[in-house]
Amino acid sequence: MHNRASLFLGLGIMALSAWAAISAWAWPKKAAMFPLVIAIPLFCLAAAEVLWVLIGAARAKGEVMDFQLSKDVPQRTARLRTLLAVGWTLGFFAMIVLLGFPIAVPLFVLLYLKIQGREGWVLSAVVTLAMWGFFYGLFDQLLHVPFPNGWIQDWLGLR
Amino acid sequence: MRTMFALIALCLVVAVAPREGQAATDFAGKTITIVVGYKAGGGYDKTARLLARYLPNYIPGKPTVIVQNMPGANSIIAANNVYSVAKPDGLTMGTFNRNLPIAQLLKVDGVKYDMTKFAWIGSAASESTILAIRDDLPYKTLDDFKKSNQTLVIGATGPGANTYDFPLLLKDLLGLKLKIVSGYSSSADIMLAIERKEVDGRAGSFSSIEPFIDRKLVHPIIRARATEPGIENLPVDEDLAPNPRSKTMMALRSAPEVVGRPYVLPPGTPEEIVKIMRDAFAKAINDPALKAEAKKGKMELNFVSGEEALKVMREVLNQPKDIVDEFGKYVKFGE
Amino acid sequence: MIDALLQGLFLILQWKALAFMLLGIGLGFWVGLLPGLGGVTALALMLPFIYTMQPHEAFAFLLGMHAVVATTGDLTSVLFGVPGEATTAAVILDGHPMAKKGEAGRALGAALSSSLVGAIVGAFALALAIPVVRPLVLSFGSPELFMLAIVGLAFIASLSGQGARGMLRGFLVGGLGLLLSTVGQDPQAGVARFTLDTLYLWQGLDLVAVLVGLFAIPEIIDLVVRGTSIAGNTPSDHLRKGAFEGIRDTFRNFWLTIRCSLIGTFIGITPGLGGAVAQWMAYGHATQSARNAEERLGFGKGDVRGVIGPCAASNSKEGGALIPTIAFGVPGSTAMAVLLGGFFLLGLVPGPDMLTTHLPVTFSMVWTIVLANIITVAACLLFLNHLAALTNVRGHVLVPIILVMVFIGAYTANNDYGDLLVMLIFGAFGYFTVVAGWPRAPFVLGLVLGKIAENYLYISVARYEMAWLSRPIVLALLAVAIVVILYPLVQARRAQSRKQANA
Repeated sequence: MHNRASLFLGLGIMALSAWAAISAWAWPKKAAMFPLVIAIPLFCLAAAEVLWVLIGAARAKGEVMDFQLSKDVPQRTARLRTLLAVGWTLGFFAMIVLLGFPIAVPLFVLLYLKIQGREGWVLSAVVTLAMWGFFYGLFDQLLHVPFPNGWIQDWLGLR
Repeated sequence: MRTMFALIALCLVVAVAPREGQAATDFAGKTITIVVGYKAGGGYDKTARLLARYLPNYIPGKPTVIVQNMPGANSIIAANNVYSVAKPDGLTMGTFNRNLPIAQLLKVDGVKYDMTKFAWIGSAASESTILAIRDDLPYKTLDDFKKSNQTLVIGATGPGANTYDFPLLLKDLLGLKLKIVSGYSSSADIMLAIERKEVDGRAGSFSSIEPFIDRKLVHPIIRARATEPGIENLPVDEDLAPNPRSKTMMALRSAPEVVGRPYVLPPGTPEEIVKIMRDAFAKAINDPALKAEAKKGKMELNFVSGEEALKVMREVLNQPKDIVDEFGKYVKFGE
Repeated sequence: MIDALLQGLFLILQWKALAFMLLGIGLGFWVGLLPGLGGVTALALMLPFIYTMQPHEAFAFLLGMHAVVATTGDLTSVLFGVPGEATTAAVILDGHPMAKKGEAGRALGAALSSSLVGAIVGAFALALAIPVVRPLVLSFGSPELFMLAIVGLAFIASLSGQGARGMLRGFLVGGLGLLLSTVGQDPQAGVARFTLDTLYLWQGLDLVAVLVGLFAIPEIIDLVVRGTSIAGNTPSDHLRKGAFEGIRDTFRNFWLTIRCSLIGTFIGITPGLGGAVAQWMAYGHATQSARNAEERLGFGKGDVRGVIGPCAASNSKEGGALIPTIAFGVPGSTAMAVLLGGFFLLGLVPGPDMLTTHLPVTFSMVWTIVLANIITVAACLLFLNHLAALTNVRGHVLVPIILVMVFIGAYTANNDYGDLLVMLIFGAFGYFTVVAGWPRAPFVLGLVLGKIAENYLYISVARYEMAWLSRPIVLALLAVAIVVILYPLVQARRAQSRKQANA
């Protein structure tokens, strides 16, 4: 898991820094210098990491000073739940794009609580209403944050 | 029978007749949004918020006026939005970077608006650009400096901002001995660099440099076309141009400054609505309470009419290709 | 000067000023707590309301609000792993793991008390610095600022993991951060760098969207995976006792708290470095206080020092940022730029006058910061149990709420959907780095410091050519940077030799 992710990231950074260096080559010197000075060594470092993963022994994954995902859940459940989490997150994003923030927010909260959380109707309704009220009252009414219409509203020609 | 026909005819006439002085020009109960192309706290935003508080008194129906921020790409995003997304019903207006006509002129990628097609309300202020240098330098006027044959270091934020463009043209077209050091994160940082004697001066809007002039840190030595009380007697860059080409370059750079805080309605907004807004703006800007607040907030507001603003836009945008190309060599679109 | 000090105090102890301060505190509390409500925006929105106030009342209101934002922003970071403000993201690294271990009370207690100490140190610095402020700020020119950015970047070494492999990865993500900081229009030639032909990227990657995605998304995924509340299965009375433990922690590590406060103050004083840096440098310094390499690995998993450092720094920074704002009229942070507008509105001219004729007003600002923080911390301590109890709420109820806050937080940065995409992309990046075991802190350092380093380097070279390298402060900072980089290596070497000696 560690190694595959490391490989993925390493290759990704190699690709990114290569693309960056190539793009920067065409720019005037002053604009290009910093990106080049960074991108080229970055490419080398990333290559080193990739090589290390491929060739190096699969020893103790270097302990890192950052949080690590909980280990007390069995692998399969963990994987499933991860996919669910990602799914819900992307789903929320899709809701926002399709329906606009004002509708997506209460809808998402309600759907998540009922479907994923399997909470009762009362709790779901209360939390949904609270979130919607807070969101609408603060961001729309008080702060006048512009929330564009969702695509569906545009197709239907509403508002 | 005849009465019936007459009644029906009357109804038809009433139904078909244009609705004058009716709901179309009354904004009662509505909310008007001013879209600002910058984040909250900046100059454009402050002006918009000030106007938002006084405009309702001068618009029929006393609607609520609110401000929405749509920052991004130096307000190109906001301009695009007001140009094509907002409805031309008078409920949305936009204010953004005064240099947007230059972006259009230089055909910057992503520009989806045409400054001449907006329904212009006008400008709430004009900005005058000056070049100011440290007070303790031995040059009190532009001539002193030119005679001395020394080089002055001018701090700037980046291409596209008047901190950079104005001295650049002075250097390249007027031959002034200036060394431009660019990269400061804000014009305020440049002032600090001036205090540190890291740089000798900076260009910028008069209103932003004024507090430092009052404090006797810097004094202005040259200005661009637009003028404000206090700097009328400074030499003007265009007047010193050695040839008509250079003069056009400098005029082109400073033309948008007359339209310092542009306010527009989406293209296609009905004439009567535009007229209402223009009147409202003109009256609001002359409101004594607003003037007092503006003075306290160090904002110098004066109304420039929509017709005048449109004239400036056309002046900027109707330039022959070779002029545009040469201009593009000096000036990029930025802040 | 003493009587100006006392005068300043009496100015804000009048009931009207106090009332405004409490109002400001009340507002600031929520502004800091909620992602999506930025401290700077809130200040800008409040400016029109201060027209009719007296200067000391207006500042009691504005500063009261502003002083509190950093403190409550830390609370959101600890409890939910979502940065309440861009300046409070570093606390997540150790604060949230503590909450996950059921130590939310302790983390909050530590966060609050170190915030208070930081704020007081910052306020004192403001008061004491007044005579020396001008020469101090003036001696830090662009070369010095560049070196300071290098020192900041040097902390990447401390924030990387164990051994050579750790260092490699640390510099890898740090370098990535540096590269990504160049996105946008460059200030030398005006080229639109790496903007992928979009308008959205013209002004670079928005820090808020990146931070929210990088830190909050992995936490949310983890929360769903665990299926429990944030605190896991710890008994609830465990939470209550925590607060005092946290406060004691701050005093147990008193010198660390003071040092981090000083780092924050110092960064606040030097305009041009940006506010986000202080907390990360403080965090890096906190990790150096680990006595050996094993202890250092505890960071990122719930070491209370990782909470104390950033909290102290992000609060002291604001006191520091007031200094150049008041003394020179040059804002020390974005919030200060707005505050400056407030100055003008009230007819005050920042500059030498504020340190002489208007000295009592300046001191009233110092006192406002101190008092506002004391009041906030006291109020939070009262509610601490309720706040900590949130970590016992079922995960399923919290997840949608947190996700909504995360999305709104990213969106309101620029009112652009692009920020949502950025948040998701960096959320994915954050997740993969966590799975791969790579550190994230160096990335943030690179992202935040990259532009600053580049710009000041160019300015230094353009202005002084190569002469700037020999300036005394520059050399001193270079030495500091070298020490910071070598420190973990030296430590590791010493541990090695000790192990061999004992074997």
